[in-house]
Amino acid sequence: MHEQLETLLEMQDLHMQRRALEEGDVREFESGVFDMSVEEALAALDDKISELEHRLTGDVQERYRRVIGRRHRAVVPVLGGVCYGCFVAVPTSWASEADPNDKMNVCQNCGRFHYYPP
Amino acid sequence: MQLRDFFSTDTVDLALKTETKDETLRALVRLFHLDEKSESILFKMLKRRETLGSTGIGRGIAIPHCRSLVVNRLRVAFGRHAAGLDFKAIDEKPVHYVFLIVAPPLEVSNQYLPVLGKIAQFSKEADVPDRLAGLESPKEFLQLLEEKGV
Repeated sequence: MHEQLETLLEMQDLHMQRRALEEGDVREFESGVFDMSVEEALAALDDKISELEHRLTGDVQERYRRVIGRRHRAVVPVLGGVCYGCFVAVPTSWASEADPNDKMNVCQNCGRFHYYPP
Repeated sequence: MQLRDFFSTDTVDLALKTETKDETLRALVRLFHLDEKSESILFKMLKRRETLGSTGIGRGIAIPHCRSLVVNRLRVAFGRHAAGLDFKAIDEKPVHYVFLIVAPPLEVSNQYLPVLGKIAQFSKEADVPDRLAGLESPKEFLQLLEEKGV
């Protein structure tokens, strides 16, 4: 897997965790069942996301910032040949490569980074 | 929706031989048979979640959990550790029973939180730790879930 994609995946998962914690149900569950201090957790997630963002190279970082600002999710899976960000079919040649995650693939329609789940 | 429906015997390990919390998380992630990179990302996310607060809910039970793009459906696993592990649990006691739950960001039926809730509910039943201690096979684990009807 491309190193930058790996970093983006981690960031995406952290963003998701952050958004979930802002929702009522998850927030209540995490603080009620697991005794989590939600505000501290949100701050810790922000710090980690920021640290990872600095690991992105120029063009990837630029695209990431542009996409995350507009579309909330910068990395989306491709399932059944369809981008799960904009639901437009992606060129089949990408998915037929040995491991499409070895290079950085970007949706030609919505601009999000693509990830091909195993 | 029954908890039993999400588990299978091949994602139950009643004889974990791990020595640390990290090793235990890795061992349970391995039960999902993902590729090496996906395992590594999932492990990082679970560890990240643990740094935000332990998932050890007391009475020897922990429920590590996270959402990640590297899984394409909700996955659950269960592990038992005879000696007990330091999980920094709420009651500061060793953890013997670990329920792992992971889900993708988007699920058609959005089962992640309900399943997490059911595991927490199951874990709170008075006789559950003793029953988990007495299990002799993964099949018995599934039978226990069925019996409890959660």
